[in-house]
Formats: sequence, C-alpha cells, structure tokens
Amino acid sequence: MAAEGPGGLRLLALDPEARALGLRPGEPLGRVRARIGVPLQVYPADPDSDRAALLRLCRWAEGYAPVVAPFGAAEAADGFYIDVAGASHLRGGEGPLVDDLAGRLARSNIPARIALADTPGGAFALACYGASDRVIVPPGGAEPALRALPVEALRLDPGTVSGLRRLGLRRVGEVDALARGPLARRFGEALLLRLDQAMGRRPEPLAPLTEEAAYRAARGFLDPIGRQSDIVVTARLLMAEIAPRLERDGVGACALRLVLHRVDGVMRVLDLGLSRPERCPERVAALVSLRLDRLGAGLDAGFGFETVTLTVTVTGALSARQTELGAAPQGDGIDALADALTQRLGRPLLRLGARASHIPERAAHTLPWTLQGSDSASRRSRQAPSPVRERGAVPRSASCEADTPWTSAPSSWPDHLPPRPLVLFPRGEAALDVLSTVPEGPPRRFRWRARIHAIVHAEGPERIAAEWWHAPGAARDYYRVECEAGRRLWLYRDGPHAPGRPAAWFVHGVFA
Amino acid sequence: MGLDPANQTGRDPASGSPRERLAALRARLAAPGGPAAARSVLPLGLTAIDAHLPGGGLALGPPHEIAPMEPADAVAALGFVLALCAAQLVLTQGAALIAAAPNQPLPHGHGLAGLGLDPARLLLLEAGSDAEVFRALEAALHARALPVLVGLLADGLPLKPGRRLQLAAEAGAEGAAPPLLLILRSAEAGLPNGAATRWRIASAPAARDRFGTLDNPRWRARLERCRNGRGGDWLLEWDHAAHRLRLPEPLARDAAAAGRSRA
Repeated sequence: MAAEGPGGLRLLALDPEARALGLRPGEPLGRVRARIGVPLQVYPADPDSDRAALLRLCRWAEGYAPVVAPFGAAEAADGFYIDVAGASHLRGGEGPLVDDLAGRLARSNIPARIALADTPGGAFALACYGASDRVIVPPGGAEPALRALPVEALRLDPGTVSGLRRLGLRRVGEVDALARGPLARRFGEALLLRLDQAMGRRPEPLAPLTEEAAYRAARGFLDPIGRQSDIVVTARLLMAEIAPRLERDGVGACALRLVLHRVDGVMRVLDLGLSRPERCPERVAALVSLRLDRLGAGLDAGFGFETVTLTVTVTGALSARQTELGAAPQGDGIDALADALTQRLGRPLLRLGARASHIPERAAHTLPWTLQGSDSASRRSRQAPSPVRERGAVPRSASCEADTPWTSAPSSWPDHLPPRPLVLFPRGEAALDVLSTVPEGPPRRFRWRARIHAIVHAEGPERIAAEWWHAPGAARDYYRVECEAGRRLWLYRDGPHAPGRPAAWFVHGVFA
Repeated sequence: MGLDPANQTGRDPASGSPRERLAALRARLAAPGGPAAARSVLPLGLTAIDAHLPGGGLALGPPHEIAPMEPADAVAALGFVLALCAAQLVLTQGAALIAAAPNQPLPHGHGLAGLGLDPARLLLLEAGSDAEVFRALEAALHARALPVLVGLLADGLPLKPGRRLQLAAEAGAEGAAPPLLLILRSAEAGLPNGAATRWRIASAPAARDRFGTLDNPRWRARLERCRNGRGGDWLLEWDHAAHRLRLPEPLARDAAAAGRSRA
C-alpha cells in the first residue's frame, strides 16, 4: 500500500487484501482510516524508484524486440510497450511470445496484464480494461473489441472522462458513433487524437529507450558536407565535444563509430579501433583521415552528408593527463603507428609468438600486436638484450620438453632449443633422388627445387616425435646439412629407418 | 619566404608563438651533443667496410637495398638483413617493423635466436602488395616510433617509391633519429632507384666451432653501389652473441680452413 499527498495523503496503490476491504486508489487516507477499523500499513510513495524499476524491466524486455517504450504519465507509468512487429517469429509466433512473457513475469512475481493489438493505444486499452489478462487481437480485429471498453481505456485526462460520463457516454463505441465536430468542440482535440490512435486511424510512434550513458555527439549541417577535410574537421570537433565527458569519468575511447548520414538516407558507418584508450581529438581526426584515405571513392559522398554522429562504443580506463603543451600532440610510439596502419591499410600489426609444442611448424605463430604484449616485450628486452642460443649442447630428443603446460596464451621462447632455421616452410618439401652412403644416415646428395645439392657436412639426428594427442604420425629425424655452395638446410626423414622401406626425405627449412 | 634572411634571424627564442619558442629552445638544447643528434649512421664495426661507406656506416634514413645473388640465396639475404636489424636494435630501444609483400618468407620465431635477435622485438605486417609495403614504411618513417624498418618486396624498389621513402625519412619528427631502412628485394628485379647502398648477398659455408660443427653463419657480401662511397666484396661472419659482423681471420674461401683458424 502506498500513499502520497495532493491536498492530504491519498491512496495510490493497493495490494489485493486492501482491495478486498473495499478501498480504492485516490481515496484520502484520513477518510479511509476513519472508515476502516482495521490498522493499515502505509508506505510513502517513491516515484523515482518506481520509474527506475520500470526502466529496468524495459531493458529486460528488450530481449523480445528492440523497440521497447515505457508508459508515460498519461498511462499511469506502470507498464511498457513492446513493438513486436517483425520479431514475434523469433519466439514462434505471437501466442507463444505472449505466453513466454507472461510466464517469465509471473516467475518474477510481477502481476501483469498483457495485450497484443495493432496499435499501442488499442493494446493499452485491452491490457488495462480487457476481459482477461492475456488478450491477443488478430490484425484488424481491434475495433470491435475496443468498442465494448469503458472510455477510461482511451488514455484521457480525468476531467474528460467525467465529462463523458456526465453525458452518459460510458463505452468507447458510444463515443466513436457520435459526430466528431461537436466532440472536438466540447472536449478538445485530445479526445479525437486518443480515439483515432486506439482505432489505428492515426499513427502513434513509440519513443524507444535510448542508450544510457552514451558518449556521443552529433552535428547537423544545413548545407551538406562531402569533402574529406570537412569530415575530418567535423570528427575533430565532435571528439572535442565528447572529450570533457570522457575525462570527467576517467575513461578514454577504445573504439569509435562515425556515422555519416547522406542526404538521400544512406548511412556510412566507419568503425575505428584504437590500441589504447584515447581522448585526444587530433589523434581521432588523424585516424579518421587515414580511414577515409583508404576508402577513397568507396565513401561515395553523393550529394553530401547532412548529419555526422560520433559515438564512443567501447571505453577503457584512462587517467587524467596533460594533452597539449607547446608541441603538437603527435601520435607517440608504436601504438599510434599500429592504429595508423590499421586504419590506412586495414591490416593489423602482428608479432611472433611461441607455442608450447615441439612440432616445429606448430611451435611458432603470429599474433595480433597489442599494447599489453609490447609492454612485456620491452620489459624483457631491457632485462636481457636477447636470448643467446646455447651451443655445444648435445642434440636431444625434443619430446622430453613437453612437460611445460600447454597454453594458448603466448608463452616465452624456450632457451635451450637446438638450432632452428631462419625460414621454416609450413610443410616439408620433398627431396628427390636421395643418395645416402649409410642407409640410416643423412643423404649425400639430393634434388630440391630443381637443383642438385651435394652435402659436405651434416649434423644430427634430432628426433622429434609426433604429438599423439593431436594426430598420430611418425617421428621425424632432423639433420642440419650444409651443401657445397654453403647453403644450410634443415632436412628430415619421415619415420625411422626401416630396411624394407625407402626413406622419405623432406626439406623443412633454410638456415641463414 | 623561408629563404629571406631577415625572417630567419628574427626567429630567436624570445619571440614568436609559444610553440615556436619551445621548438627553438628544444633545438638549442638538442644541438650540442644531445643523445638524439649523436648518431646518423649505423657503424658495422668493421673498418674495412666502414671506410667504404660515407659517414663510417650505413646511413640512417635513406633506403638500403639488399638482394640475394641468386634466387636460392634469398634466406641468406634475409639473414643479413636481420643481422643488421639486430646490430641496430642493440644500440637502441624499440622494435623493428618487417613489412612483407605476399609470399615472402617470414622469419621463424625460434630461428631468430641463431641471429641473436629477440622475437619480441619484431613487429610484422603482412601487406597485400609492394605498394602497401611502401605505404606502411612511409607511415612508419613519419611516425619515427621504430628504430628499424624492413620491407620485404616481391619485386624491386622503383624510382618513385624510393624517392618518396627518402623524403619521408627527411620529413619525420624533429629531434628523433631516423630509423634504419632496409629493403630486401628478389634477385631478378634490379631497378634503378635512390637507394643509398645496394648489397648483393650470397650464402657461404658457415664457420665451424672447435668440434667441427656448424657455427656462425657467413655470407659473401658485395657492395654493388654506394652513394658517395666505394663498392667492395667481403666474406662476412655474423657473431650473434656479440651482435656484430666480423671478417673471418684469414680471408679464406675454404670452409675447412676457416674452421681450423678459429680453433
């Protein structure tokens, strides 16, 4: 039970027990206390919390359809509209959608009345004053259903309702049957508007919820703009508009969306990613410029853009710092370059990463470069200038190194690996016409890439077993060989030597 | 207008906008022996070669073109390029950018240890064409964020992009030293261009350690063309631990002899 005071405290909402006592909303509290002998529990009304709860419910209801509008003051602010047009099939039709909605609300202990009709006005009327708490009106069938409802269902102000009742007009149908001119003269345009909206004779756009706390700025132009420099300047101004808001909240933009609305209704959307949070307008403008460079004629300004909107879609923490002192705020460091390359070429900056695998082609890969990774990299490079390969170690089977836990995260580079080639082929290339002096030893000469290689020196073998947990395969025996011309290759024999089987040799890499 | 002497002398630190004054003060501070202005070349550490190069080393800024002697030496040439990268990275902070045209061999992360190069200090960019490589290098030259830039080209370096790179190297941010710019091209595509030096690299039998196993890589390097310098022919050995090139002690063509002399 709740109470609030216009001219003394009045009842505002009642629970079922109070309703059973014959109380009605709007009654002055003092009179109720006098009339009823039962002690009442009265709580003060809190419209702000009610509104917040309703908005929370609306957010939740956006799971059904994107357009959800809360009830306004005329609708007592105790419900919301969902525009299910085009979205009901996702729940298997209108019936299942309403059932699903009612079921979920009931599980949350929210008593609800749901109506589905052609117009928001019709749905409101049927939900509040309909026969049952779940009404689905087929398309075009709203009018007969509405005619039987009381005039309060039309979302009118109390004065109009009481005036209509004084004239003996109790049903919507009775009002609708009268001549419109005298009605408008007597009750004003609002009555006809509400009537037409309910009957679907006039459109009623819903005002959907807007994204909250969005960092966004827009600029409209009387004279559409089309030149690249104009767009860049506009982006800079918009970012300058957003920057104080970002600074106030201690965040920077990690991703931005620039939307260009063309005169003929076409929208161009440019998504910009940044490698670290940023709120400097000049840098954002520079990125926009690079992106437009890349788009070139693909932007197709047509007759020009009339509205430019800049929205910060992803934010990241960025502490306050001085943005400008004398020198132009140039992009500093690798992150600025990475952003510039991403915008200009559309290609990310990569870095090399090690993987905990002893299969050579799986042991290294490329990853997108991130600021995080480079931080650790620069830290490491300061501690140790470079990993120096340990030499003289006896080549050993690499399969015993598999005790490091497998992680998909970039692991550090192992220190004690036998020499690896500078260029590794994704898969071994077959060496043909192989001649060996010893059957199980390395080849003396072979043909590879249309050239005969005569081997003068060979080191090995280094046996690398297949990773049976990935795919079964034969172990490989790797040899480092140097041919007459001084080229150093990395050869392997697929599978161990077997007397009855011709050995298959492959070139897997080339040393520097 | 900029050539007017009166205009030039009028620009002293006490006048002009705050930005100009700050720039003038910076220039005054940086000029005598500041750390940034100290080095404009990468010395190779070999008097035999540095004497051939103007300034006593590879000039920072203008492009240096490196090509394999024949197609099969492509990896040796890549090794030479990465060795120069390592030599520069040892002297500076930061990372090297490798912008590669499609189908160019990229270095294997584990193989870089053999050249004494930390894989974490390499940035890669897989460009879609030679033109994109040039654009990426140009952007990086303007940004002045990286001490080494490497372009791996499918074809050669034509005259116009070479000139653009040269201009970008000159036009970068003031105060910062220009990066070392290395262009690796394929063996066949020799085009006239504005490269400061042009190298040809062939593989050579590696040095042997005292157990007779393969040790430091060696390359036959020919300095084909050098602006304001002389060409030359050397057998070079890369010491990955000391991060420097050296000449094998006897200028031997024979691998076995070289190995014996080291022992």
